[in-house]
Amino acid sequence: MGKELVFKALRHEDITEVPWVPFAGVHAGALKGYNAEEMLKDADKIVDSLKEVAKLYNPDGMPIIFDLQVEAEILGCNLLWAKDNPPSVKSHPLEGEKTIPCVCQIPTAESGRIPMILDAMKRTKKAVGDDIALYGLICGPFTLASHLRGSSIFMDMMKDPEYVRELVEFCGQVAMKMAELYIEAGMDVIAVVDPLVSQISPKHIEKMLSETFTAVFDYIRSKGVYSCFFVCGNATNQIDVMCRMNPDGISVDENVNLPKAKEITDRYNITIGGNIPLTTTMLHGTQQDNIKGVLELMDSVDWKNFILSPGCDMPYSTPIENTVACAQAAKNPEISREMIRNYEAPVDDIDVEIPDYANSEKVIVELFLLDPDQCAACTYMLNSVVDAFDEIKDVAEYRVYKYFIREDIARTRKMGLTNLPTMCVDGDIKWVSIIPSREEFVDTIREYADKKSR
Amino acid sequence: MDKELLFKEAFDSIVESDEDKAVEVLKKGEEMGVDPVELLTEGFSAGIKHLGDLFGRGEVFLPELIFATEVMKVVTEDIESKMTGTESAKKGIMIIGTVEGDVHDIGKGIVASLVKTNGIEVIDLGREVPARVFIEKAKEYNADIVGSSALLTTTMTVQKDIEELLKEAGLRDKVKTMIGGAPVTQRWADKIGADYYCEDAAESVRYALEYLSSK
Repeated sequence: MGKELVFKALRHEDITEVPWVPFAGVHAGALKGYNAEEMLKDADKIVDSLKEVAKLYNPDGMPIIFDLQVEAEILGCNLLWAKDNPPSVKSHPLEGEKTIPCVCQIPTAESGRIPMILDAMKRTKKAVGDDIALYGLICGPFTLASHLRGSSIFMDMMKDPEYVRELVEFCGQVAMKMAELYIEAGMDVIAVVDPLVSQISPKHIEKMLSETFTAVFDYIRSKGVYSCFFVCGNATNQIDVMCRMNPDGISVDENVNLPKAKEITDRYNITIGGNIPLTTTMLHGTQQDNIKGVLELMDSVDWKNFILSPGCDMPYSTPIENTVACAQAAKNPEISREMIRNYEAPVDDIDVEIPDYANSEKVIVELFLLDPDQCAACTYMLNSVVDAFDEIKDVAEYRVYKYFIREDIARTRKMGLTNLPTMCVDGDIKWVSIIPSREEFVDTIREYADKKSR
Repeated sequence: MDKELLFKEAFDSIVESDEDKAVEVLKKGEEMGVDPVELLTEGFSAGIKHLGDLFGRGEVFLPELIFATEVMKVVTEDIESKMTGTESAKKGIMIIGTVEGDVHDIGKGIVASLVKTNGIEVIDLGREVPARVFIEKAKEYNADIVGSSALLTTTMTVQKDIEELLKEAGLRDKVKTMIGGAPVTQRWADKIGADYYCEDAAESVRYALEYLSSK
């Protein structure tokens, strides 16, 4: 079970398979056609989207939502909503007044978007929680303090460290309350996400942050679940001090050298997660780049105390096929190595014949897959055809090609396909990584059959 | 006290972010009849440049840099008030802003402050700035450099729009463009045709000074 794999990694046990945790935040919504704002405000859409993540990406763990502004919104920050990003904080209630908010403002189960989030957590737990470790993400106390105070917090650190310490302590109380609510809603792992920690010195962290953060991680542990510390940006200099706060795991961004960082986390017996590059590889790379990137990452470290994940929250428009490729490499490294060799292998000597689609008697459905047995998206794509085949078998036939068979590789190249799984109908690319509904599939085949009979 | 020692004290006052010390150095300089521009260049500016390099190497962090920049502002304001018109001539003009759809402006603010303290006039357009406004302001101020910051993968595309609009306006050869922000890379700069990818504030200053001195 994938979930147990994540737990084993966070319990620092030996593992023979790397746990894979894609951070599909607003990208999860993209899988179902929801924009970021629609998804982050609606439990039905969150659950719907996460079921799709579970189906396509075969994760061992996944976050419910990746939105660090939930707490800030409750505490009075105005948000700027976007279609393809989580919201950003636009105003800071403590910008002009150096005060500590009243404890009466600490969120409850009824505050802001929390009832909706708890509902989504409980329903996702019911739907996929037996197999997948669910991560509840909370805004880290320092980033929350900066949301409240704005960039003045950096000057405060120099001029009034006691104030910063107190504000961070208040934000720590918020974090503990959020953790409590999310744990009650069934979360297996609480991730304290604090991107700004990478921007301050270890000395300042120790002076103003460490006590509160350590208390938050201790609290999470006392509730019987695992804790992770996510940081964005280049946190190379901060890894050591982060370890001393004693979380079960740390997750780092792409600009951290993973093997070097792991040398430090291993000294503290803390699990490290990371760090597939978000933009150059996942967003703008090819499927091949993604398989290669993941394999290189997996080869660069000892698997004990390691969780494979993107560097940070995946961009909204990350191509589905790229994430499918990451999942494929994570779950089946040896077959994936073969695929990489195949991508590069010369197959021009193999003569494949492309069907004469125009004159074929039946509509030809062709499935170009990575590996139908191991790649979840490939399995679902194949099943979408197999399950509906009885309805169309009078007018259509289907063929399956696998990217580890030389003839099939040659055929995939000859068709000019670069992203798998892809389904073609009479030579036209119809679906890339997206699994059509039964109705959509049958209607499309009927349309092609009608054209043939005319 | 000799001049070199005074320059060293000016340098240290910035590196140590010691405003009292900086003010004292300014006073001493005046008493000694040291050229304020020389004191700024050889002492204070050298200090902020050193700090910027340390920041780039991850040896100092954001709070220290912001604090030192504030001290530097006090120094430059004092020196500017003592200069005659010709002496206070700026090295060049830079337009800067965080692009449309993006409210993240901490990094942009640091770059603006640091560039300014290095004797370059900075027109800070703030945040959520549409591409066309960068072009309008570049024209209005006859800018040498147009800098844009984007912190989101989706707002990065505005930096591409800026490149295209500059071409359309016939300004592309008259300005140098600088881009920065967390998801921005050299590869992105190459792709859209930006002149400089700035990984941090120190790099922005270095490129700006290099370019303006070569003009």
